[in-house]
Amino acid sequence: MPPLVSIRNLNVALPPGADRPLAAEDVSLEIGRNQIVCIVGESGSGKSLTAHAVMGLLPRGVSATGGSIAFDGVDLLKEPAEAMRRRRGRDIAMIFQDPMAALNPVVAIGGQVTEQIRAHRAISESQALKQAGEMLGQMGLKDVGGLLRAYPHQLSGGQRQRVMIAMALSLSPKLLIADEPTTALDVTTQAQILTLIKRIQAEREMSVLLITHDFGVVADMADAVAVMRHGRVVESGVTQTVLGSPAHSYTRALIAAVPKGKSGLGPPPESVVIVKVDGLTKRFRRGGLFSRAPAITALDDIALTLSRGETLGIVGESGSGKSTLARCVIRLLDPDAGQVWLDGADIAHMKEKHLRPLRRRIQMVFQDPFSSLNPRQTVGDIIIAGPRAHGEDAREARARAADMLGLVGLGSETMNRFPHEFSGGQRQRIGLARALMLKPDVLIADEPVSALDVTVQAQVLKLLDDVRRQMNLAMLFITHDMRVAAEICHRVMVMRHGRVVESGPTSEIFARPTSDYTKALLATIPGRQAL
Amino acid sequence: MKPRYIALRLVKTVLTVVAVVVVSFFLIRMAPGDAATVMAGQSGYADEAFVKSLRAEYGLDQPLPVQFWKYAVAVAHGDLGTSYVRRQPVLGVILERLPNTLLLDGFALVVAIAGGVWLGGLAARRPGSANDNAVSVLAMLFYAVPQFWLGMMMVLLFAVSMPVLPPFGIETMGADYTGLARLGDVAEHMILPGVTLALYYMASYARLTRAAMIEVSDQDFVKTARAKGISERQVSRHHILRNALIPLVTYAGLQASLLVGGSVLIENVFSWPGVGTLAYDAVQARDNPLLLGIFIVTAILVSLFNLLTDIAYSIVDPRVELG
Amino acid sequence: MRNFARRFFSRPTALFGFVVFVAVVVIALAAPLAFAAGPFTIVGMPLLPPGSPGLPAGSDVLGRNMMVGLAFGARISLLVGVTSTLGAIGLGVLFGAVAGYYGGVVDDVLMRVTEFFQIIPTFVLLMVLVAFLEPSLASAVIGIALISWPQVARVVRGEFLSLREREFVQAARVLGLSDASIIFGQILPNALTPIVVISSMMVGNAILTESALSFLGLGDPNLLSWGSMIGGSRSAMWVAWWTTVFPGLCIMVTVLSLNFIGDGLNDALNPRRRR
Repeated sequence: MPPLVSIRNLNVALPPGADRPLAAEDVSLEIGRNQIVCIVGESGSGKSLTAHAVMGLLPRGVSATGGSIAFDGVDLLKEPAEAMRRRRGRDIAMIFQDPMAALNPVVAIGGQVTEQIRAHRAISESQALKQAGEMLGQMGLKDVGGLLRAYPHQLSGGQRQRVMIAMALSLSPKLLIADEPTTALDVTTQAQILTLIKRIQAEREMSVLLITHDFGVVADMADAVAVMRHGRVVESGVTQTVLGSPAHSYTRALIAAVPKGKSGLGPPPESVVIVKVDGLTKRFRRGGLFSRAPAITALDDIALTLSRGETLGIVGESGSGKSTLARCVIRLLDPDAGQVWLDGADIAHMKEKHLRPLRRRIQMVFQDPFSSLNPRQTVGDIIIAGPRAHGEDAREARARAADMLGLVGLGSETMNRFPHEFSGGQRQRIGLARALMLKPDVLIADEPVSALDVTVQAQVLKLLDDVRRQMNLAMLFITHDMRVAAEICHRVMVMRHGRVVESGPTSEIFARPTSDYTKALLATIPGRQAL
Repeated sequence: MKPRYIALRLVKTVLTVVAVVVVSFFLIRMAPGDAATVMAGQSGYADEAFVKSLRAEYGLDQPLPVQFWKYAVAVAHGDLGTSYVRRQPVLGVILERLPNTLLLDGFALVVAIAGGVWLGGLAARRPGSANDNAVSVLAMLFYAVPQFWLGMMMVLLFAVSMPVLPPFGIETMGADYTGLARLGDVAEHMILPGVTLALYYMASYARLTRAAMIEVSDQDFVKTARAKGISERQVSRHHILRNALIPLVTYAGLQASLLVGGSVLIENVFSWPGVGTLAYDAVQARDNPLLLGIFIVTAILVSLFNLLTDIAYSIVDPRVELG
Repeated sequence: MRNFARRFFSRPTALFGFVVFVAVVVIALAAPLAFAAGPFTIVGMPLLPPGSPGLPAGSDVLGRNMMVGLAFGARISLLVGVTSTLGAIGLGVLFGAVAGYYGGVVDDVLMRVTEFFQIIPTFVLLMVLVAFLEPSLASAVIGIALISWPQVARVVRGEFLSLREREFVQAARVLGLSDASIIFGQILPNALTPIVVISSMMVGNAILTESALSFLGLGDPNLLSWGSMIGGSRSAMWVAWWTTVFPGLCIMVTVLSLNFIGDGLNDALNPRRRR
């Protein structure tokens, strides 16, 4: 039997003025029946547009200019628009990265699922609704009646993605395309959604095209894999073969860059405590003056210590309070109670005026490389703003800035350029240089690599660790990713709902987690066994 | 929709109206020269004794805080004072004119929204197309035209060059139509001022609809809708337009007071006997109680209209939970 | 910068707007030199049609040269438009920035004030202000600035509210920069685009508002403006169309040019948003 989908020499052209003429170039790929095929690649590899080409949903200005996509023997690129429309949702269905954005915010869930069914089948609304309810039930959702009446914002991230999958599968398509279906979800939910996709695929003996950037996901899910880079397939084949003996150097680099979730660092160095946090509590009030909504406790009685030369990882899912903790420690937020001792001075409730001179001792690297640098300033001005605010002479600061850029791996010629001329990884280096210019004792890194591609991620993590060593920094490393935490942290503190669940040396936590929650977090790491 | 929310909003409305009373009262009283002098000047006698008696009659000789307190107490009892010029209760004078203004504004608002959404949708269908450019330039044109002048040009065109519509007033003087005939007569008189007033706002609605529809059509859920295999028509009606309506509702709420202000000019040009012409006359004659009354009544109206748009907002956008 | 100019002038409407606006400025500056006698001088019979000898735009109800009036009218429109906008921008940026950055009480007060302006019919308020301050150029400028600053403040506040959450602003706080240098050095440069765009639109709106005031007879009685020319010819409109048509066209074209410039600026400053 021929494969369900056979892509031959596909070219996808970008509009004029894009950074390259072809998003996908000479791409050939087969999706067998009853198979999960992964396309894996970093951002800009063309993996997502290749998938959209199969769906016939390329964005305006982008078009498939060559090759063929045979689906059950029919070339989809030659299908008339109306025939292709009828095929969508019935033969091929698709789910997307962020289910919140992918669901219409003003239409109830029931209406969105029945719309899918009724677009292709002549049945009544009530019949469609019944069918929708059954589909939701099959996706493991509870209280289906309530869900059908609910709006997307009233659901959790996992529920929304299940709704998306239910909707996509409601007409039993032969192919499901899943474009990074778990990237926007919390780690524990990620694992559940992947398990669900795998289960459904097996039950229905359908084909799945899964787009991902994560080799861990590939290892857990795929029967076959294609690695894409700069619009080309550099390597493809059966998953075990590609993972076990990668032929292409890029594949090897990608696999090597995946954090393995095994602690590389030894025990924390014996050293002096520089930060001591005690009883730190932060509540957020919701709504306005008249609101009766109760305050949310984002941090509940947190205590920690941090010594020179060590990295403490704060791990948790979104809403765990890890970022709030970082922002209270560095006083971007004012805590409601507790102390933050910075080298003997309690800065938790200090007035900004008194705090300002102390700020140089505790610096921060931010998450989003695109919003963390002022787009209107040159890199040089960005980097010397701190020293200038603390009274350093401009010329002196500039001279140091050139050295500092060298330290983080950038040339001094970057000084006169603007942030938009740099890649994400380079921007994170600039952000690090800005923080280090003040010669801090403590560096807080808030998800510094979560917006970066894996290969860049590995480089930035290494840089952070090198800098920590050289400058004997105490580092507080905030992350949602257990694998990343294992790579760089001496100790780890696991947070949930604003409380500390468990803390201890990294190797200890990974080898012998005591709390169920930590165990669950560890179990969700994709590709843990295979890689 | 929770009753608690509506109650809170009504409390807020009352507070806002109180603020309007306070601010307008002192603003108007800070003006140089008092009303008694102006009135005396108008009636022809300017002698000191007459001015004094006028001051006493209207309580203008008392200290300002006392005047304010008396006024505030009266307003709380629904008494907006007596018009200096008309010598009639202010509330009655305003209420007599109010329906005319509401009629004109309501008509203009409906025309503006219907036309604007239609034009905006037309433009958004293919950004950059000839249709889109035509709508954009037209919108720009109506933004740039002085409303009063546009009104005069309408009169020149449709009442002078091609006399098809009545240029002035709300009904034919001396015709004494009744029933349906009167209704038709008023409707005929309403077309020119109503359309003039509507054109500017239609331009805003067209631009807003266009921008909102283009922005919404970029969002992921529109891609989901296409992935379902539903027709383009349903994509744009059921998914794009429904979401694009949300900013329109907000805008309609913000516009209410602008319409009242805009109708001053239009009512003036078309001799429409509404609150706008009343306000103009009150300014000219320094009829302070009448001016204050107009501020208070429009503030209440606009607040109520805002409450309505908030409720409409919570209907079009389920994410908004009132209360 | 060169890129910016290229993007701006690549739009025909922006180019048109720019050329027309420059022409209006030149006419306004040159009016007293070209027509030394001033706009109030009576030069002939009233209501002579355009094209009569020496009267390319005809004469008005008092027999004054319409052409001279139109040229002098440009001075009033531009003067009121630009100065009142400067005033409104100054007030609006100051209050909007402080309210947006600090939030809290200042923000609450600002929001109440802007709500007040949304609820009250602002044009009636303006008439009251101007009438009570005595109609003059200064009262028009002050009045228009006072009723339009909340609009700027709302925009600036919104920009500041979203920008202050951006990580580069948080970074500036962490670095220990003072509030003043964060507000003016870090945030304001990033909020300039909407301020520039709204400014050009506001000049246009102010010109419209001034013309409306003058039309209603609430302008400076010693100056001839486009609005007062229309207002003064209302009775003649039936017989002498040019007395109202020309000044109205002048207002429309000037405001249109400003709005085209604003639109062009918006596109040129936000190349990514362009469609």
